[in-house]
Amino acid sequence: MNVAVILQQVPDTEAVVKPNPAVPGGIVEEGVKFILNPYDEFAVEEALKITEKDGGEVVGVCIGPDRAENAIRMAMAMGMERAILISEPAALEADIVTQGAILAAALKTLSPRLILSGREMIDNQNDAAAAVVARKLGLPHVLAASKIEVTGDKAVVVRDIEGGSLEIETSLPAAISCQKGLNEPRYPTLIAIKRAKNKEIKKMTLAELGLTAAAPKSRVTALRLPQARAAGVKITGTPEEVTGKCLAWLSGTAKVI
Amino acid sequence: MAGVLVWIETSEGKIRKVTREAASAGAKLAAAQNAPLCAVLFNGKDLLPELGNMGFSKVYTADGAAFEKYSGEAYADALAAAGEQCGADVFLTGATALGRDLSACLAAKLDAALAIDVTEIKYDAKPLSVVRPVYSGKLLADVELTAGKKVISLRPNVFPVTEKPAAAPEIIPLSTETAAIRAQVLKAIKAAEGVMDVAEATIIVSGGRGTGGAAGFKVIEDLARTLGGAVGASRVAVDEGWIEYSHQVGQTGKVVSPVLYIACGISGSTQHFAGMGTSKFIIAVNTDPDAPIMEKADFAIVGDLFKVVPVLKEELLKVVK
Repeated sequence: MNVAVILQQVPDTEAVVKPNPAVPGGIVEEGVKFILNPYDEFAVEEALKITEKDGGEVVGVCIGPDRAENAIRMAMAMGMERAILISEPAALEADIVTQGAILAAALKTLSPRLILSGREMIDNQNDAAAAVVARKLGLPHVLAASKIEVTGDKAVVVRDIEGGSLEIETSLPAAISCQKGLNEPRYPTLIAIKRAKNKEIKKMTLAELGLTAAAPKSRVTALRLPQARAAGVKITGTPEEVTGKCLAWLSGTAKVI
Repeated sequence: MAGVLVWIETSEGKIRKVTREAASAGAKLAAAQNAPLCAVLFNGKDLLPELGNMGFSKVYTADGAAFEKYSGEAYADALAAAGEQCGADVFLTGATALGRDLSACLAAKLDAALAIDVTEIKYDAKPLSVVRPVYSGKLLADVELTAGKKVISLRPNVFPVTEKPAAAPEIIPLSTETAAIRAQVLKAIKAAEGVMDVAEATIIVSGGRGTGGAAGFKVIEDLARTLGGAVGASRVAVDEGWIEYSHQVGQTGKVVSPVLYIACGISGSTQHFAGMGTSKFIIAVNTDPDAPIMEKADFAIVGDLFKVVPVLKEELLKVVK
C-alpha cells in the first residue's frame, strides 16, 4: 500500500521576506529562493523507510503555484514516485481548513495506507493540515511525531508535548505529522535528481476533485513587519562589574527580580 | 446567539497558565460581544472551585474513561456539543501542543475559521480579527475570521491574566456519545525530573555555539535553576548533539514568549530570533560585540559566558534568597 505525503513549497529559512503591497497577504517573491518545507523532508524520509520495508510507493499531494513543482521534484529526487499538484488560485488563496479539505479530496484519489506531513508549514505556520485532513477523511491522526513504528494495520507513535511526550497507538489508515528528530532525511544523488525530472506530476483542478470554490472562512487582510526591537544598552567590564549593572537593570528596568 | 467557549487544559492536575490567559481574553471578548463566557473541563472536578474566579457563566464537565487521556476526536466532539448548547461562536484554546491539536480538530469538525498561535485579538472588530506571526515571526498577518464559527489558539505568555472575583458558574455535566477512539494514548512519558519546558516558561536561559559542548551547558542549567527558569538552546547546539531537540528555540524549534530571555553564546540568527523575538526582555552574553543578538538585546553584555554567567548566578542567588 502507498504512503502519501503532503508537500508545501516555502521561502528558504534564510530568505528576507517582505510584504507585497500589491497583493494583500502576499510577499515580494523577487530574489526569494523557494524550497521544500524543511519538516516535509522528515515526512518523505519516513514514507520511504516504510515503503522500503513493507512495499508500496511514496506519493505526494501539494497545493501551490507552478513553481511548487521544484519542491515536488526535490521530494521525487529523494524517492517519491508521483504527485498531484493543485495550482488553482481558489486553492492557493483558500484558508487552512478549506485547504485541508482540498488536500483530503486529492488524497482520497490515492487511497493511501498512511498519510504523512511535516509538523508545520514554515510560511503560514500551519501545523493543522494532518489533523484537518484526517477529520475530513474520517481518519485518526497524530501530530508532531518523533517516532513512528508501523506494524500491519497499526502504528505506535511518539508525539512531543510540553515537558515530555505521549505514546499513541493508532489504527491505519491515519494521518501523522512529522517532527524533527524522527529521522535523518537522505540527500538525493545526482542520478536520482535526473530521474526525478521524468516522474509524473498530475495537475488537478478543484472541479476534477469534485469540489467547488467555497466562501473563505478567514482572510489575511495584510502582512506587515513586526515592530523592530530598539537596541538596548551594551556594556563591557569585569564579570563582577557587568553582573552588578545587570542586576541593577533586572530590578530597576525589567523589574524581573 | 453568540458566546465564547474556552477549553480548560490541565497539566498534572493543575490548570495551565495559558488557559487562564485564554479565559481572560475570552472574558474581554464576551464582554465586547455582550455574550456569555463558558468552559469545558475534562475529568477535573477538583478544579471547579478555581474556575469560579475566571468569569465563566457555565462550565460543561465531561468525565469518564473516554476523556481520561487526550483524544483530539473525542475532545473536539465534546467541545462542539457544549458549543451547540451554549450557542458559542468563538472557541479558545492555548496554543500548546494539545491545544493546537484540538483547535485543528474542532475547526475541521465545525468547518470554522481557524487561527493558530494568535498574539493579538481585535476585540471590537467586525468580523472578528486577530494577529498571528507568520514566516517564523518575520512578518505579522492581520486575519479576518469571516466564518460563522471561529476557533482560535492563543500563544502562551502573551495575553494578560485579569481574573477577578465572580459569581460561581453553573455546572452542567455534558452527555456526549463518543465514538471509538482510534488514536489512543498508551502512556505519557515525562522528560527527566526537574526539566522545565521552554514553551510556557517565564524565564529562559539559552545556550548556543559559545557553550562549546554538552559540558558547557552546565553553567546555563545552573543559572536557569537559580532563576526558576527553563533551559533553551540554539539550533547549532542541538545539531551538535550537546542538548536535546525539545530545548531548541527558533524557526525549526519552539516559539517562546518569556518575560526574560537570556541568550548565552548565541549569535542571534534570524531563525533563532524567529523563535524568541517576542520575549519581553532579552539579555545577551557574547564575546562578539557585533553579533546580531547584541543589537537586538535590551541588555547586551560583551564577555565570556563562562566568566560572566557563574558570577551572575552567585549574585542572583543572594538576591533570590
